[in-house]
Amino acid sequence: MKKLLTEFLRGIIKENPTFVLLLGLCPTLAVSVSVTNGIGMGIAATFVLLGSNIIISLIKNVIPEKIRIPCYIVVIATFVTVAELSMKAYSPALNRALGIYVPLIVVNCIVLGRAEAYAAKNTVVNSFFDGLGMGVGFTLALILISGIREFFGTGKILGYTLIKGFEPASVIGMPSGALLVIGLLLGLFNLLKEGRE
Amino acid sequence: MNITQFLTIFISAVFVYNVILSRFLGLCSFIAISKETKPALAMSLAVMFVTTMSSIITWLIYRFLLIPFGLAYLRTISFILVIAAFVQLVEMVIRKVSPPMYRFFGIYLPLITVNCAVLGVAVLNSDMFFINGKVLPGSFIYSTFQGICVGLGYTLAMLLMSGIRERLDLCNVPRALKDFPLAFIIAAIMSMSFMGFNGFRF
Amino acid sequence: MKSKLIVSVSPHLHKNESVKKIMWMVVLSLLPTGLAGVFIFGPQSLWVILLSVISALATEAGLQFLTKRKITISDGSAFLTGLLLAYNLPAHVPFWIPVIGSAFSIAIGKQVFGGLGQNIFNPALVGRVFLMASWPKYITTFTRPMIYDAVTQATPLALLKETKILEYVSYWDLFLGKRGGCIGEVCILALLLGAIFLFARGYISWHIPFSYIITVGLLAFVFGPNGLFTGDWFFHILSGGLVLGAFFMATDYVTSPLTRRGQIIFGVGCGLITAVIRLWGGYPEGVSYAILMMNAATPIIDRYTKNRIYGTK
Repeated sequence: MKKLLTEFLRGIIKENPTFVLLLGLCPTLAVSVSVTNGIGMGIAATFVLLGSNIIISLIKNVIPEKIRIPCYIVVIATFVTVAELSMKAYSPALNRALGIYVPLIVVNCIVLGRAEAYAAKNTVVNSFFDGLGMGVGFTLALILISGIREFFGTGKILGYTLIKGFEPASVIGMPSGALLVIGLLLGLFNLLKEGRE
Repeated sequence: MNITQFLTIFISAVFVYNVILSRFLGLCSFIAISKETKPALAMSLAVMFVTTMSSIITWLIYRFLLIPFGLAYLRTISFILVIAAFVQLVEMVIRKVSPPMYRFFGIYLPLITVNCAVLGVAVLNSDMFFINGKVLPGSFIYSTFQGICVGLGYTLAMLLMSGIRERLDLCNVPRALKDFPLAFIIAAIMSMSFMGFNGFRF
Repeated sequence: MKSKLIVSVSPHLHKNESVKKIMWMVVLSLLPTGLAGVFIFGPQSLWVILLSVISALATEAGLQFLTKRKITISDGSAFLTGLLLAYNLPAHVPFWIPVIGSAFSIAIGKQVFGGLGQNIFNPALVGRVFLMASWPKYITTFTRPMIYDAVTQATPLALLKETKILEYVSYWDLFLGKRGGCIGEVCILALLLGAIFLFARGYISWHIPFSYIITVGLLAFVFGPNGLFTGDWFFHILSGGLVLGAFFMATDYVTSPLTRRGQIIFGVGCGLITAVIRLWGGYPEGVSYAILMMNAATPIIDRYTKNRIYGTK
């Protein structure tokens, strides 16, 4: 039980996919304009991650080694299509907001990376918790980045204005701002890491 | 089919909505491989080749297979499979034709499969040049051209970034910012300067 | 900067004293421009300049103190950055604009690279572009010259972009600075005085400014509004931030190429991008963007225009 907890927590801090492993950056930067989008993407990605980790872990002994990557991709793509269609049906606004980045979850390095590095070599239960941890870690990273960007870029969080009369720097909501925020955050985390050593 | 449309696609894909600096597609490989110019250029050429060819192939599949049979929702799966197969083909060809080049690319060749730029431009083409399944005039040639331009935009960003990072290797960068954080900050500044092309109109 | 046949990679600035001297000389050369700006737009401009400079100095000193590096604000480079940023702003911006912009210029445009001599981009322009993208409303609100209260008036280039009938503005008005615009860009006369001073002392060479300005003039002439070869190139050269940019910002040693050939390529590139943005882009002026983009290309330009080391291939 303790081991499962460790697996889960690993994905959140020690091996956070966004800040430590630097995976899945494309969608992270693109959708993190508002916290709502960040949470939406995080949930979608976690769903896909869980699904694909479980299935791939189940069939890992049956797939021939040479064509394993295409096989993983088929599995992942299936879950992504399910997520995409569900989103189109139940929250079309979110789907419009996330745009092409929903189908792009297929090539999200986190999903494929965990499939190759973990699910293909571990039990179903372990893979489930790994997927959960990574997904939650990813979602938390998204919330942090989009929180910063939404606040400094539009002066609001989740649509609510916090400080009246605050003139937001609109660049933060733009691609350049995303790159800047993540660069500074990475630098900050490096600094904290060094400070701890 | 007029020249302004081509110019617009070119300026758009290469500068205003640069695939890396603005759309963030291909960012992983951009941050990882832009440290030196030679590998950066080699990767860019490979990516450009793949984006162009997959733009063509995915367009054909979308037009003649998916839409007529009402299977547009299978777009994501079929596109990525096509791309994966194509990259695998390219890998096999390079291995046969030039083993040293194959070794040179190493793991980065199969990684083109998951390069968001490739799938991204395919999806973008089907969004931009089809409306509700109807083919817009000039769709094929615009899609192919956009594939080429996305590759060019990728190459431009890689080239500039690798030159900058090679130069910074000799500088006294603050330790916490070394490598990745600084690379992102540089990309941010480049992205801001590319904004100068906003609102482009011929 | 005259091209020196140096084989090593930049930065080349060895003696602290000579860096200091050059920086302060450039500041001196910009004094006429500052005076002209204050004269044309009123005491508000002085505030912008002061706030910008103080913010730059404070940010540099603060960051260097926090990272336990030597504090170098006396070398004049932060002062220069603050000054140039102020010159690139309209006179009646809210006080926090130059403060934040300057701090950003120094922190992100210079210190993250390791400080003087190591930045890739012109710090003042990094700050300006950041301000433009963040609070475009304030950066593009210009005021009438010679009326010290804030009465808004569009710049000649902005009017041109919207193809509005240009109020009668003569070349003399453009040359002397009787037009809407940023504090340091409008008075061409003052700018040229400073530039001549820098040329005379050998601090800048003609390659970059001349190739830059000629390229813009040429393109403006060729792609005129009434068909080919009808453009008003003189108007374009005197308008906007071209003179300020070409003589004082594109020529920054650290962020421009080392060799003569490279410098000409740099100048032409800047001119090309500036002209393209002015003629067909959404913004009326493209100088800041053009210079930053060419700054990014400078390492590559240097790489491919390296002087041949005697005896090697």
